[in-house]
Amino acid sequence: MTMIPVNVPKRDQSARMENWSRAFYRFRQSWLSVFGLAIVLLLILLAIFAPVIIPYPEHVLGTTNTAARFLPPSSAAWFGTNALGQDMFSLVLAGSRVSLFSGLAVVIISILVGSFVGAVAGYFGGWIDEILMRFTDLLLTIPSLILAMAVAAALGTGVGNMIIAISITWWPAYARLVRGEVIGKKEEQFITAARALGAGWPRILGLHILPNIMSPIVVKASLDMGFAILTVASLGFVGIGVKAPTPEWGTLLSVARSSMPDYWWTALAPGFAIFLAVLAFNLLGDGLRDVLDPKARR
Amino acid sequence: MFLYVLRRLFLLIPMLLGLTVIVFAIARLLPGDPVGLAAGPNATPEIIASVAKEFGLDQPIPVQYWNYLTGLVQGDWGVSIFTRRPVFEDVMTYLPATLELVFAALLFAIVVGIPLGLLAAVYRNGPLDYITRTVALGGIAMPRFFLGLLLQLGFAVALDWLPLSGRFPLIESTPEPITGLYTIDALLVGDWYSFTIALQHLALPAFAMSLSPLATIMRMMRASTIEVLQQDFVMTERALGLSSRLILFKYVLKNAMSSTLTVIGLYVSWLLGGTVLVETVFDWPGLGLYATQAILTQDFMPVIGVTLVIATIYLLSMLVVDILYGVFNPKVRYA
Repeated sequence: MTMIPVNVPKRDQSARMENWSRAFYRFRQSWLSVFGLAIVLLLILLAIFAPVIIPYPEHVLGTTNTAARFLPPSSAAWFGTNALGQDMFSLVLAGSRVSLFSGLAVVIISILVGSFVGAVAGYFGGWIDEILMRFTDLLLTIPSLILAMAVAAALGTGVGNMIIAISITWWPAYARLVRGEVIGKKEEQFITAARALGAGWPRILGLHILPNIMSPIVVKASLDMGFAILTVASLGFVGIGVKAPTPEWGTLLSVARSSMPDYWWTALAPGFAIFLAVLAFNLLGDGLRDVLDPKARR
Repeated sequence: MFLYVLRRLFLLIPMLLGLTVIVFAIARLLPGDPVGLAAGPNATPEIIASVAKEFGLDQPIPVQYWNYLTGLVQGDWGVSIFTRRPVFEDVMTYLPATLELVFAALLFAIVVGIPLGLLAAVYRNGPLDYITRTVALGGIAMPRFFLGLLLQLGFAVALDWLPLSGRFPLIESTPEPITGLYTIDALLVGDWYSFTIALQHLALPAFAMSLSPLATIMRMMRASTIEVLQQDFVMTERALGLSSRLILFKYVLKNAMSSTLTVIGLYVSWLLGGTVLVETVFDWPGLGLYATQAILTQDFMPVIGVTLVIATIYLLSMLVVDILYGVFNPKVRYA
């Protein structure tokens, strides 16, 4: 079959620039969103440059210094030292790499799996939709933290296994979201046009529908980043997931619990790190939603 | 209405059946060596084989599933390899503690969150609005386990107002079990002394759990109240000379409740599944601690049992929410 040449007008470049600057203007309207973005950028920079900044790199690798046990915060050790005499500032800084990386990995895997399942279910409908969505609904009724804990425990400790375990419980939410969006888009005229031009379903879904439903996915992903970090820390806190000496915020907090209440500072730094990271991603997500999702705008 | 509830209850059966398949498959198909763990590190192959036989783990997985399913209906939920006690008994022992915690947290979140959200919307951009919005932002981001630790440091260690952890002091005799919820049981027989002790132990963990739902309920309530306040019928009522208080509590509250209800329903599952974290911090002897113990020893039967119980409660609470929709919004009342 020969393709009919269609002259698609290119979108005006200057109009696109104007859209972006308008979006950024709207984003700047809320100082909370800007604050969230600033903290997120700071966290990313800290995580990237952590190897250079960390004052005591040997502590991250597991070196202990029993002479300096439980030192309160000072100029030498900003957040104090723990039961092994390790510098908490170094550990928390190193933990930011683990937390941000795992959070990002969970969200990306969930988006990939969830979008695929949701897009296929929404596009084809019928019994395919029925089977996929009933399965998704069932997974959504299982308490996700317990499921993630069980899977992580069975797979064994390690960052990779923990990411898989959390992703298993997270993708159904994306499948639901994407399915709804695909159903809303698939009857539109530009899809009919693409189908008339002979495009197959992978092409229509990937090239025509997905780019048009990216906004809600991006908004959900940015809001979920914070909760992914929180879930990673939760698994670490109950003793499943990342094991010491890999520094992870939840694991650090769980270790600190055994030296409470006398040496409270060992808990303070990792705890506030989790709080700040979750807060920053939530604020950023709220800001993005105001800009990208006109329906939710007030 | 009655038929609707009946049909919904009937639909729970295939849902729960599907759940057992999924949970059983996850528990069984994952790598791991529960038999080896239960038999101990020095077990000979013969001991391992006998342990596997004792718990039926030597049979093919479909057979194991069938045995489990037929047992489930008869109240036999399998035996915990680790505690060697029937899972059903274990779950019934730990469930009341978790329910008490979840109910207390949810009650606090609703009783405080709904009025605050409503008032924040009425006095929009006032000081109360800013305070509730700040609390709402922080409350969602605050990890429950970290908040729990901070509460312990503040109220149990520094101020010494409340007990550090646990559900009831070992030296005291617990209230006669009626519902299994200590506070309720003590109240039912008018035992104020036990009630006070139970409440003191409950306060910190319940508050640690309630902050996130409180924040969300406040946010939802504020947003939907603002929306309702802008609708025409409110202006009509104002024009008719109805008092602000009557409009707010009789008409606006009712209309703003629907979306908040959904959130409350969703939080039941979130709270039940998330008690693990708070129970760990406060050594609260509930389902969460039981599940964690089972997971760490790869003891499948308790994990399946706990998961099914929580999922069932979640599905039932969604049903209750749907029925309550009808109460608040006659448009969706069921035939």
